[in-house]
Amino acid sequence: MPVLLKQILSVSWIGLRSIPQRPWLSLATIFTIATVVTVLLAFLAMSEGFRQTLTGGGSESVVLVMRGNAEAELNSVLIRDQVALLNSAPGIAKKDGAPLVSPELYVVVDGKKRSNEAKVNLPLRGMNSEGIALRENVTLTQGRMFAPGRNELVVGESLLREFQGFDLGNIVRFGASDWKVVGIFSAAGSVFESELWSDLAGVQSQFNRGSTVQSVRMRLTEPSAIEDLRAYIANDPRLNVDVVTEKAYFAKQAEGTSDIILMLGWPLAIAMALGALAGALNTIYTSVATRSREIATLRAIGFSSTSAFFGTLTESLLLSLLGGLLGSILALLFFDGISTSTLGSSFTQVVFRFDLSARLLLNGAVFALVIGFLGGLTPAFRAARIPVASAFSDR
Amino acid sequence: MTRGSLIWKNLTRSRLRFALTLFAIFIAFFLFGLIQSFDRALNAGADIAAANRLVVSNKINFTQPLPLSYVNRIKTIEGVDMVTHQNWMGSYYQEPRNFIFGFAVDPESFLAIYADDIALPPEQAKAFINDRRGMIAGANEARKYGWKLGDLIPISSNIWEQTDGSKTWELVLDGIFEISSVDTPANGIYLHYDYLNEARSFGKDSTGTIVIATQDPALNDEIANAIDTRFLNSPFATETRTEAAFNASFIEQLGNISLIIISVVGAALFTILIIVSNTMAMSVRERTGEIGVMKALGFPAKTVFALILSEALLLALIGGSLGMGAAWLMATVTAGVPGFPLRLVLYPDIWLMSLGVMIVLGLLTGLLPAWNAYRINIAAAFTRA
Repeated sequence: MPVLLKQILSVSWIGLRSIPQRPWLSLATIFTIATVVTVLLAFLAMSEGFRQTLTGGGSESVVLVMRGNAEAELNSVLIRDQVALLNSAPGIAKKDGAPLVSPELYVVVDGKKRSNEAKVNLPLRGMNSEGIALRENVTLTQGRMFAPGRNELVVGESLLREFQGFDLGNIVRFGASDWKVVGIFSAAGSVFESELWSDLAGVQSQFNRGSTVQSVRMRLTEPSAIEDLRAYIANDPRLNVDVVTEKAYFAKQAEGTSDIILMLGWPLAIAMALGALAGALNTIYTSVATRSREIATLRAIGFSSTSAFFGTLTESLLLSLLGGLLGSILALLFFDGISTSTLGSSFTQVVFRFDLSARLLLNGAVFALVIGFLGGLTPAFRAARIPVASAFSDR
Repeated sequence: MTRGSLIWKNLTRSRLRFALTLFAIFIAFFLFGLIQSFDRALNAGADIAAANRLVVSNKINFTQPLPLSYVNRIKTIEGVDMVTHQNWMGSYYQEPRNFIFGFAVDPESFLAIYADDIALPPEQAKAFINDRRGMIAGANEARKYGWKLGDLIPISSNIWEQTDGSKTWELVLDGIFEISSVDTPANGIYLHYDYLNEARSFGKDSTGTIVIATQDPALNDEIANAIDTRFLNSPFATETRTEAAFNASFIEQLGNISLIIISVVGAALFTILIIVSNTMAMSVRERTGEIGVMKALGFPAKTVFALILSEALLLALIGGSLGMGAAWLMATVTAGVPGFPLRLVLYPDIWLMSLGVMIVLGLLTGLLPAWNAYRINIAAAFTRA
């Protein structure tokens, strides 16, 4: 082993063993860094969870058709003639000879949060059986599917978890009409689980929508068929509509909110990290000051100033690593998987779980090490510059 | 040497340590000030709501329409002073990302009911009322997009299209308004409901929410009940709430923001509490010998206690004030940014609250070291030193 490396290792080891001489100061550094890392990870997990929930539901081979520039289903209106035109569009997959086309209505109804009774917007989607066939991973976990022509609801598991009054068998009142919950469904944790589903005709009549719908979902024969579809739409002036893949639609919907969370989270974490950095610098400077004689002695018996430099840096990095570890554990214990909801781009609640992936934990660890590195750098320079003579002076 | 300078000398004996600790406190209070004002700005909608205003919306949800005829029917209810209504536009300028809060309104009743909140020069108000294709825009919006009075501005809607299929509404800027209260930026545009209603391809004769001013806030409940009962069994049942409750419901939809805010502020304060209390304890430990000397010289233990406690308080107050000052600066800077969505204001009670937190921080970090210094006897102090 090269001499320098050996020296660095032994100086580091001596430094690390002296940490218990400064127990409170060292613990304080670990705790402050842990707190900062926990806050950062909480925001990252929130943003990631929201994004996963939205993008997890989108398919590459399902397209969403809405009126031009509508941006969201809530804003869109399509009339019956347009739906009929879409039914005969090219590139659409068929099931039992019928094209897989699902005209859907997306209306907003009131619900109440279980946690604080806050009144919130929930989506009620009216559709036919094609709509359910178009969605992968949908399974009924309780009860049965809604029957056409009756005011019946099936409720997504996420929605049921966060909002009150939608248990199986309940009667729910929207305005002047009553609806019965006949089933609960899961959809692999995707955004569809934040919805109420019912029969299209029933929603159209109870919500005074005549024969209009808001969006049409269609399954393509293959993803590239979207080009044929676009050409077909461009050639028909009656079809003043936009076509996007479901995947692209959800990715765009995810963007806004998950970006806002990150835009709040990162600056907050960085500002807090600056505070923690000040604490770390304090600790490591104190460590260098109390050990200055020891360091000078090491220099006197032949250790290089480089080894003093790295020895000090190691102490800082170790403390920050422990802090990062503790912070990750706290975040995993308290934040990973917790369920919450917020207003999505469709102006309705999206239920999601905080998702603390390994990639995010790595982010937290790197963040902690950056604090540790910066916190150790200047004290390490000071340690490297301690004059050898100070080993022999009285004080 | 006065007491004050003694405290100061002790505090700054290690310049570096003083600076670092001060900086940590600075950051925590900077965050404290900004986050508190952010919270306040988010809830500003509920603050500006007038006590005598009620909002009537569709009972299913406020995004569902109400028939326009309700406006006149509500006017006849006893105790109702003024009625106006607004229809959401889903508007943007040129590109969807330039999203604008836009409503189609009945200009005369709209300006009357919000006379205390919307500051618009009388001649501009008159021009707007008389110009069917006119609109008024918030000063913030006008500044952001460089709009001038008299400009013909194409406003797009992601909901309403004209009967010819166009989704762009050409509007004349007749007025630029400010919001009278300090904490709300003047955003948004308002256009004539009649113009929208006549030209739109669907949704005719429906509106979004109906706003009423009652003759007396004491009548609010009674009137709200009267309205909701009148429409209870119609296809468009209503829900009538105070304006404050209606505005607050938007923020509640975002999630438990106050919990997030309390947690983040709490975490930031917790970290500095750890940092500062350790630094204080260490700094007093290092001076054990000196404290012995002071006591030997005849300084009463009480004085020693007070000196150290004052040191901790002073540290918290200086760092905290600097942090709050920086937060104020930041808030002031953002107020000048055109299009900044929130108006951050550090209200007197936020300052007062921060002062309280500084004192608590000073006490928590100073009491134990001060008590140790108070207790230690001279002989022990000299041995330990």
